[in-house]
Amino acid sequence: MLINILETAFNLIFTLNENLIEIISLSLKVTLSALIISVSISIPFGAFLVFYKNKLQSFIVLVSNTLMGMPPVVLGLIIYTLVSKKGIFGFLDILYTPSAMILAQTLLISPIVISLTYEEIFKKNKQYSLLLNSLNLSNFSKLKTLIYESRYALLTVTLTGFGRASAEVGAVMIVGGNINHFTRVMTTAIAHETSKGSIELAVALGFILLLISFIITLLIKSLRKIS
Amino acid sequence: MNILPLKINNLNYSINGNKILRNIDISCNEKNITIIAGNNGSGKSTLLKILHGLIKVPKNTIKWGNFSISKIKKNQSMVFQEPILLNRTTYENLTYVSRKKNINDKSYVDKIIKRLNIKDISNINTKYISGGERQKVAIAMSIIGNPKIIFFDEPTSQLDPSYKNEIENIISNLSNSETKIFMTSHDISQIKRIGKEIIFLDQGEIIYHNTVEKFFSEKHCDLIKNYINYG
Repeated sequence: MLINILETAFNLIFTLNENLIEIISLSLKVTLSALIISVSISIPFGAFLVFYKNKLQSFIVLVSNTLMGMPPVVLGLIIYTLVSKKGIFGFLDILYTPSAMILAQTLLISPIVISLTYEEIFKKNKQYSLLLNSLNLSNFSKLKTLIYESRYALLTVTLTGFGRASAEVGAVMIVGGNINHFTRVMTTAIAHETSKGSIELAVALGFILLLISFIITLLIKSLRKIS
Repeated sequence: MNILPLKINNLNYSINGNKILRNIDISCNEKNITIIAGNNGSGKSTLLKILHGLIKVPKNTIKWGNFSISKIKKNQSMVFQEPILLNRTTYENLTYVSRKKNINDKSYVDKIIKRLNIKDISNINTKYISGGERQKVAIAMSIIGNPKIIFFDEPTSQLDPSYKNEIENIISNLSNSETKIFMTSHDISQIKRIGKEIIFLDQGEIIYHNTVEKFFSEKHCDLIKNYINYG
């Protein structure tokens, strides 16, 4: 039986099954969009926090560190209450759309990106602050230099964010609704197909997720070696 | 811009209640090499960092000519005991500093490379060069823009005699070309070779300030005597 399942699953992958490709494309579209939004805001923000040492900064770092471990279902629930018809952002009308899923994944990975960026830039600032202060640079100029000097580590942070977002199921299930051909992504499809007993598609998607995870791990390893 | 005389007026500096520098009064008039000497923990590096503006002290405590530190910061640079270099090639480190000092002429960096004789390592990432070479790159970075004052914090303490000699020559040449040098050093023979003026610190206080020539000819307290004998 297991052999039959694997055979069908691989068949789906190698014949580029339309349904499978659609789910993978939407997953990548949602995750990459969330990643781009999160990284372009969270990396500068996390780096900026290094230069402003006060109580607010300490509080933001603490909150960010705490939110790193936030259960995705809780986040999904919070976003659901905010964007549902009766919620304060109900007028946006994004519940059960890919936009809501992008929002959920962005909020899920941002604390991770902020915290890891802060840690990395903090380390680099310690290493280079005497030189940068000696050159009499503005904070903006120092920030650019530190981000550039941390480029490989920040790529690793980005990949960590991608890994977290692509493997997430709870939040996107709640705010996306797992609607076929519209908001069904790899993780929600695996849960759905398994509960239905149609395990072949779930196994095929599982393989793709594992492959993505493997590629990310490989890239992180290489980047760590370079940096 | 006249950066001399340097006048330090009753400088005190503490960290968490520990007095690092006490009642420092200095007047320096000569564009030569001033050595700041003293035992470990005497406050040499702190004094250097304060003079360079890396540690803030009350306004008007330090005057360079008629200017405050912030006004002449662009005319100063510093070479640290452990060279601080970016994770880039030697050439990229130098272009980085020249860009930050608004020097966009590419041939300028080539001239600095030639002057410091570091062509061989110009395309190598500074992670992979030796300690002596790293210090030469740090010095090359410090002379970009022809600063009027350069601070050296024990620049040769971790180097072999050959690099020590090379770097001493570079520092002497800089001094001859009208750059005021402040340098901390533990090395008595080095102080003798290149120093012109010496400030000796003990537990944050100046206990001797005169020419190097007089420093080695006069009679001293036990502390300085031991320093000279075992340094």
